[in-house]
Amino acid sequence: MPGKKRTVRIGNWYKSDDEKVHFVRKRKVPRPSKLRKIVPGQVLILLAGRFQGKRVVFLKQLKSGLLLVTGPFKLNGVPLKRVNSAYVIPTSTKVDVNGVNAGQVDDEYFKRTQAQRRKNEQGFWAKRGELTAEQQAAEKTRLEGKRKTQKSIDDALIAAVKKTPLMKQYLGARFSIGKTTRPHDLVF
Amino acid sequence: MVLTKFVEVGRVVKINYGPQEGRLATIVEILNDKRVLIDGPTTGVQRQVIPIRRLTLTKFNLKGATRGARTGVITKAIKKSDPFAQYAQTLAAKKVAKKVLRAKLNDFDRFRVMILRKRRSALLSTQLKTLKKSTGGKAQAQAKGGNKKK
Repeated sequence: MPGKKRTVRIGNWYKSDDEKVHFVRKRKVPRPSKLRKIVPGQVLILLAGRFQGKRVVFLKQLKSGLLLVTGPFKLNGVPLKRVNSAYVIPTSTKVDVNGVNAGQVDDEYFKRTQAQRRKNEQGFWAKRGELTAEQQAAEKTRLEGKRKTQKSIDDALIAAVKKTPLMKQYLGARFSIGKTTRPHDLVF
Repeated sequence: MVLTKFVEVGRVVKINYGPQEGRLATIVEILNDKRVLIDGPTTGVQRQVIPIRRLTLTKFNLKGATRGARTGVITKAIKKSDPFAQYAQTLAAKKVAKKVLRAKLNDFDRFRVMILRKRRSALLSTQLKTLKKSTGGKAQAQAKGGNKKK
């Protein structure tokens, strides 16, 4: 008698091997973190990494949620950089960024190119890591382009920074806590 | 020591304790040996009964304050001669104001204060050096400072 097809479960799927599954991010598109009242031109204090304690100028929030900041490079050695807003203290000091155009900088700007990845290869693949002449030329133009963008953004910024007395020195100095500072009492 | 500051009508007082801590007011009426009626219409102190224990007497008096005067009368008297402004000139008041200002400084301000203090002490030390030179090392250094510090 044709009845409803009954599907019978054989049982759970038991993996035969110890498969190592790489962490797969369920969310394909990064959700930009909600920006705590941080405004373009605001001076931020970086809390982690090579530039910890440095005061940098915030330019904009990128699509990935990270904050785009710059030293400016001439003032404190911090280049155009992506920074996680969790590792940042926003201060109430602001620099005028009206003349600054950071529109062409986005997450793609910071992606590692194949030539860069190749350069890091060692051992068996080292030969593969050597760049061809055209790759080297391409790298050169890429870096030149980056220097140009850095310069164009920084020049406008430095002009604005120079207007406030001591701002240049402020951005060049690092933030630190002394013996008597009470961080919970500090107003930023 | 002669006693000069009395609990009397018109005495300007500073509140030491409670929600109004730090504010000034005038004594309007004395109720008993422990409580007074105070009022501070220009300083944000509501007319209230307060134990004397919670007050510090200042050396200023509000002229024209009569016993049990209503708030309006007090306000008029203050308009005529403001003892609160006089109190703000005293060293004690200035110290408090400085402390309040320092607490409000933001990161950039703190940096500027640091730089200015360094400049000031550099000025002082050069003054001191020239004084020492000119009087053969026996001078009392009374170098006056340069920049204003917050």
